[in-house]
Amino acid sequence: MPEGSGGGRGDASVDKAREDFLSEAQELVDGLSRDLLLLDQQARGGAGDPELVNDVFRAIHTLKGLAGLFGAVRMAAVSHELEELLDDLRLGRVELTVKVVDTLFAGVELYGLLLLSEKGQAPEPARAVEEFMAALATLTHRGSEGGEGPLPQYEIDSSILGVLTEYEEHRLRTNMKAGVSLFRIQVRLALTTIDTVLDDIKAAAKPHGEIITYLPSGTGADAEHIDLEILMASHSRLDVLQGVFRALDVTVEPVKRRASGEPAAIPAEPSPAPDADETGATPWPPEVSTPPEEALGPARSTGLTQPPVAEAPAPVAAPEARAALGAPNREQDVSLRSVSQTVRVDIRKLDNLMNVVGELAMVRASLGRMTERVRAEPQLRAWGSELHRLQRAFERHLTQMQNGILEVRMVPLGQVFEKLARVVRQISRENDKEVNLVITGAETEIDKLIVEELSDPLMHMIRNAIDHGVESREERILVGKPSAGTVALNAFQKGNHVLIEVEDDGRGMRPDLLIETAIRRGLLKRGETEELSTREIYNLVFLPGFTTKESASNLSGRGVGMDVVKTNIGKLGGVVDITSAVGIGTKITVTLPITLAIISVLGVEVEGRSFAVPLASVEEAITLDERLVRNFDGREALTQRGATLPICRLARLFGLEPLPVPEGQPQKPVKPCVVIASVGSRRLGFVVDRLVGQQDVVIKALGKSLKSVRGFAGATELGDQRVGLVIDVAALIDEVMSTEKERLGVAEGGLAR
Amino acid sequence: MNTLARKKHDRAAVRRAADIGKRVEYVSFALAGETYAVPIARIAEILKPLPITPVPRAPRVIIGVMTVRGRLVTVIDLRRRLRLPEAPVDHRTRILITDAGDERIGLLVDEVQHVHRLAESEIEPRDVLGGDPEPYLAGIGRPEGAVLTLLDLRPILEQ
Repeated sequence: MPEGSGGGRGDASVDKAREDFLSEAQELVDGLSRDLLLLDQQARGGAGDPELVNDVFRAIHTLKGLAGLFGAVRMAAVSHELEELLDDLRLGRVELTVKVVDTLFAGVELYGLLLLSEKGQAPEPARAVEEFMAALATLTHRGSEGGEGPLPQYEIDSSILGVLTEYEEHRLRTNMKAGVSLFRIQVRLALTTIDTVLDDIKAAAKPHGEIITYLPSGTGADAEHIDLEILMASHSRLDVLQGVFRALDVTVEPVKRRASGEPAAIPAEPSPAPDADETGATPWPPEVSTPPEEALGPARSTGLTQPPVAEAPAPVAAPEARAALGAPNREQDVSLRSVSQTVRVDIRKLDNLMNVVGELAMVRASLGRMTERVRAEPQLRAWGSELHRLQRAFERHLTQMQNGILEVRMVPLGQVFEKLARVVRQISRENDKEVNLVITGAETEIDKLIVEELSDPLMHMIRNAIDHGVESREERILVGKPSAGTVALNAFQKGNHVLIEVEDDGRGMRPDLLIETAIRRGLLKRGETEELSTREIYNLVFLPGFTTKESASNLSGRGVGMDVVKTNIGKLGGVVDITSAVGIGTKITVTLPITLAIISVLGVEVEGRSFAVPLASVEEAITLDERLVRNFDGREALTQRGATLPICRLARLFGLEPLPVPEGQPQKPVKPCVVIASVGSRRLGFVVDRLVGQQDVVIKALGKSLKSVRGFAGATELGDQRVGLVIDVAALIDEVMSTEKERLGVAEGGLAR
Repeated sequence: MNTLARKKHDRAAVRRAADIGKRVEYVSFALAGETYAVPIARIAEILKPLPITPVPRAPRVIIGVMTVRGRLVTVIDLRRRLRLPEAPVDHRTRILITDAGDERIGLLVDEVQHVHRLAESEIEPRDVLGGDPEPYLAGIGRPEGAVLTLLDLRPILEQ
């Protein structure tokens, strides 16, 4: 792997390559995490699927290669050590224990940190790397070479035995220990179709056992063909296998066992555990004259910093052919080619496409007007209907295109859920609680940008569920619940929204305790508690300052409380709600819009300026009757269906002066309306001059220089080239209400002292 | 033109051509009676004023937002930014479009004038006026027959 060939920063193509490296590495790490979760389950069940261990090994190997190529020194070093561990695992030198899986998970975490630091978003986790390396060192190479005793009582040509890789040899032993029979499959393959036919053979073989190795036999092959000998371990009978492979034109024959008495019979005397044999130098196979392992054995058992031992330079007749066949050969499986069929696209490019679609929608509107005019002319009728037909087609395809782009932006929630599965595992272990995570609806799709922002809030909710919701094992048994708690993560689509529920079967939230805490933290006055509805009581946990660091465990207490969760979800246009039952559990529901790119808005006008209110937060719009406005201590409110509805005049809030009316134009009549908006349980009425109507718009983020301006979620084109600002309902409600709270806070503080 | 004069002219042309490599193109514009210039490489396009939507609560130097071919542009009043007296928009007003990171920014100027190719020798350093110059002042350009206040866009956009 050429080191440091990624130098010369500042070059656009290098930056691009680096970006690709980072996202590919991220993808690999995500995949790693998935595989580990599976492996974790298998480790508990006793044995890991060798294919899976191999997948993990390959992923880390590729990561190592990538890291080396891009000069990510720490990452390469970590990968190198992990690779060693995985190599030991697949060769059976290290057993797949829960501790090993834990370490692997820690490795995934570490990769996350390293990638962040590569992106320049975090300092280099030098310490974490050191600690990890130390932890790894306790796992790898604990014993000496596993002297697995002489192989087989099978009649395998020494020419074959001699070229088996260490891994293949290990698999051979494992299979024979399990009493599985060996078969030799001979096949002649045309070089042109070798890949597909080989895949067919693999597929056919899979249900019946494991293919140990593919070897070119080198006899009788002409220029277009290659003869292969496949060594397969199978528990099926010969005739069954012959049936399986009949269509593939191969010959299958059993590999005969040697007469007993010849080299050690393994089933009778199981091979010792890997670290039992201290000498570790049993030469194998005894008959073969060039046992490369022997020479390499001692070297391998020395220090950790040793580079990975190259595969035995086996005397293979046709090395190229071997590599091409995909035999697990270390040198050749370093491939920087992406394996997946997918294309990674920068989301900004999709935004640009969406903008073009927006422009086209405007063209469509003008085209429509033009068409109508043409059709109104009697002498142009034929043209008119032709135009109309074209315009309809244009419209249809435009809609398809819009939907297509939106679809591309959508990704399954499973992406986040997988990460969360890891978190659950970690937290439950640290809390010494047994927690099962049940996921439904992982296939539910949502806008990519939303998914990116979701993992942190969801993680905090899950931490809370495990830390505070799920009871200890003893407590659960005492109340007659199963000792393992359950945290359910459910996702489903409901209209234009996606709902995500985080539900636990823990102790639930006690309203009286919540009120107590709120009072203790000075968020609530004793007298105020009477009027609170149950829902409002549960919602107390979302108040800033409700969760504090001291009360939270080392995991949930990273200084982030539920208020932050709520704010972050709110930024995505989402809403959080809680329901709970004492002794039964708590359910937090997050409601999110499916996409951030296109939203339905209600167009309004204030002092001649256009604004748009996201329809998702609009409950209804009513005509304003000034006579019904009540003034409470400088704050205006309406009484609506028996409840107080605070109102806020947008013109006043934004300090808008009336625009001068151009000469000769009649002033448009003002029909003041109240747009009632709500976020969660909070409602506020915005007073506007006029309602313009509902439309679907592409929302564009405001630039960095407008970051400090609160109250707007973005801007959008409202036809006629004018830009309308999209109101950030959550932020405005927060603003209007919190000034009120602050006032109360000051009053309270004054009283308390 | 006699032969001698033509030869002289040609030599001058050759010298200018040799100089071109070291020259930087600046676009000059008027603001409150003074002439300013920025490197033309930083300017993506020059537009006549489009409808601009004011953003309530925005910093004073930001006039508002507009869209250009589907992209949102934040428009800055360069007069306000440089603390010059304000003036109404007229038919000569132009908007210079530039990029600041991910954001597209429009700079409102009174009038766009010329493109100048300045050699290094025609640029005086920013401290020529002494004292502690504003960070956005890049220097003074002195092409033949003009004096240009050269601006560094980065500090202007970063505020």
